[in-house]
Amino acid sequence: MRLGIVRGHVVLNPAIDSYRGRTLAVVEPVTMENLRANNGKGGGKALIAVDELGAADGQMVAFTEGREAANPFWPDSVPVDAYCALIVDSIDVRP
Amino acid sequence: MYLARIDGTVVAAAKHASIEACRLLVARRLEADGSLAAEPNVVADWLGAAKGSTVIVSTDGDIPRAKFGNTTPVRLTVVGIVDDVQSPAGKERV
Repeated sequence: MRLGIVRGHVVLNPAIDSYRGRTLAVVEPVTMENLRANNGKGGGKALIAVDELGAADGQMVAFTEGREAANPFWPDSVPVDAYCALIVDSIDVRP
Repeated sequence: MYLARIDGTVVAAAKHASIEACRLLVARRLEADGSLAAEPNVVADWLGAAKGSTVIVSTDGDIPRAKFGNTTPVRLTVVGIVDDVQSPAGKERV
């Protein structure tokens, strides 16, 4: 999983059936430098991740990429390759 | 699988139900020259890796699926804590 900051949400119309009712978040990955500085900046290339936890704009999440991102929808086959697995409360990193 | 340095711990406000009891760490991939990747990864750990330790991280989703069930989104897991890397750069790297 990578860490990212939610920058917004995407609304689709139309969309494929399996996306109905899903929340899609725009996530900006966070670099170690920005994580240490705790400056609210990301620094990575933004991507879209499915979010079922209800992360708000500005919150940090950890998102899974790849085939495992579709696991939460098992046994359905859903074309998802990024999924918010947790909302970050705090991170303790070495100084 | 790759070598990574554990740099911190993650406390979650909300988690996917399958990883409710799982320990999550901030890891940085180690490159061949011993430098650390710019972007951190969040990895699942049940071996008890300490901050500052070097570990092997597996990207195989079968491992977390066997542990947390078929619906788990976890992919990266700590599969071993490194004692020593035997190479010319060995000790320096670890």
